Amino acid sequence: MAFLEVRNLTKHFGGLASLNGVSFEVYEGEIFGIIGPNGAGKTTLFNLISRFLSPSNGQIIFKERDITPLRPHEIAQLGIGRTFQNTTLFMKSTVLDNVYAGFHMSYKAGHWKAFLHTLSARKEDRIALQRANEIIEFMGIGRLKDELAENLPHGHQRILEICIALATSPELLLLDEPVTGMNPEETQYVVSLIKRLRGDKGITIVIVEHNMIVVRSLCERIVVLDSGMKIAEGLPQEVMENERVIEAYLGKEEVG
Amino acid sequence: MSLKSNEGRSKQIALCLLLIILILIVAPLTGLVKQYHLHLLIMAGVNTILAISFLMLIAVGRITIGAAAFWGIGAYTSALVVTNLHISYWLALPMAGILTGIIALPVGAIILRTPGMAFVVLTMVVNMVFVETIGHVELLGGWVGLIDIPRPDPIPIPFFGTLKFGGKIPYYYLMLFLLTLTVVVFCALYQSRIGRAWRAIKLNERLAQTLGINVWKYRLLAFVVGSIFAGLIGSFFAHYFQSLEPKQFTVFKSVYIQIYGILGGLDFYIAGGAIGSVIMTFLPELLRGIAEYEPIFSGILLIMLVVFFPGGIMSLAHAGFVAENVALIIKTLKTLPLLNNLRKKG
Repeated sequence: MAFLEVRNLTKHFGGLASLNGVSFEVYEGEIFGIIGPNGAGKTTLFNLISRFLSPSNGQIIFKERDITPLRPHEIAQLGIGRTFQNTTLFMKSTVLDNVYAGFHMSYKAGHWKAFLHTLSARKEDRIALQRANEIIEFMGIGRLKDELAENLPHGHQRILEICIALATSPELLLLDEPVTGMNPEETQYVVSLIKRLRGDKGITIVIVEHNMIVVRSLCERIVVLDSGMKIAEGLPQEVMENERVIEAYLGKEEVG
Repeated sequence: MSLKSNEGRSKQIALCLLLIILILIVAPLTGLVKQYHLHLLIMAGVNTILAISFLMLIAVGRITIGAAAFWGIGAYTSALVVTNLHISYWLALPMAGILTGIIALPVGAIILRTPGMAFVVLTMVVNMVFVETIGHVELLGGWVGLIDIPRPDPIPIPFFGTLKFGGKIPYYYLMLFLLTLTVVVFCALYQSRIGRAWRAIKLNERLAQTLGINVWKYRLLAFVVGSIFAGLIGSFFAHYFQSLEPKQFTVFKSVYIQIYGILGGLDFYIAGGAIGSVIMTFLPELLRGIAEYEPIFSGILLIMLVVFFPGGIMSLAHAGFVAENVALIIKTLKTLPLLNNLRKKG
């Protein structure tokens, strides 16, 4: 049974098809990769799944529910978290506050209780803050909790993005190039973190990535996009030996 | 600006507020404050409430130049129900706030769907539509306006007699009560998870959405709450001034409200509004001889503020700006070769 299913997804910008009839399935508990050369439509695909863009055609099914007509915050409420290709944080806030903000959906007390600062509302605030602390400890940036997000080095900012997404308790996490601009050690660290997210927390992960070493060591299955079309799908080893893939993608660049 | 407010600092701020309120309560009793100054204080209070309700939209990343319309809706509602239906002012006051909120709800629901710049223009249109409507409908007073709006009904106080709204002092205390109410409600909102959601929206709308925040709904909440309090103080203004005309509620007033906020500091949703309003209420009084040119000064002031001083007055206190600059100036002076030469000669 597919956890996330993308059916015949198409997106036109003006006359240009950025994504053209793409279909694939992601199963619960796997790490699924989306690769392809620049301009292949990977980020468009992510923006369609998280509904920051509306598809021109096609459907997105999450846990047997058609989520195509929903809005971004409703997607988040269903349990789909995401990060962005361009680092997206509350730059002027501290690391802890960034993650604290991510607990918005965890509050059961209504607006009136929050406004009146009732005991139950304040208790929920404390629990959220506590859990925010736990997340940044888990992700290894606990000692930076009082730093402003804008002052963090790039690698830590990318990790913080994942922390914020984790605060929303996602069942499915969409990571858009999580290791871009990182040095090999940082990359290795984030790879191990992503493995732990799936292993310890049981989160299904879909990842867009350029770095082939990362894709190989993380993903169980991948799809390859080129010019908005799906050209291959399968195990990373198989796919990377596929002639069309080598032609479209790997042939132009050195592998790895 | 932070998503979570620091506990220790918020206690300090609460203490400061309490002190300011105490001073404001005691001040007119000392007899040192003249009637004229009392009037200015009352108007500063009215403007403060308008400014902090304007800043509530700034807190969700939106700018309005239609704030005066909702102030006007409150004022006209209250004046009309008291003069036509002869109900007590103390019923009309909450009614004005609630009705303003009821009107703000559909208006906000529609115009908040538009992106930032279109929203600014639409708030201005709402303001102009309000003024034109009042002006052209005789039932609402027309361009001539409403006159002889009654003063608030006397309040019987046990063992004390009745509090009559004769002079300025009872109005002053009523304003102080409304101001305190506004500040308490607004602080409670900003300090809660609602305030955190607002700040998240302001800091990064896209990210806020991925956290499950319904951006439109939370902005609408800010719009309606801000409007309710603008309406409440509108009701106060109507029965204090005792006459209303559409001219008082034009886009110009909305721009003034904007100046109060920007001058004080847009990141300081309460203190910024208060400081800006007090300065902009008292400062024009110093220029009274050239009162007709006052809009020119205010216009230039707004442009200067936005270009050279976007952080507002509160940003100075916050960043230790003054101390840093004094240190910098001294450092620069020391490095001047001229000074060294003088020293050698000395």
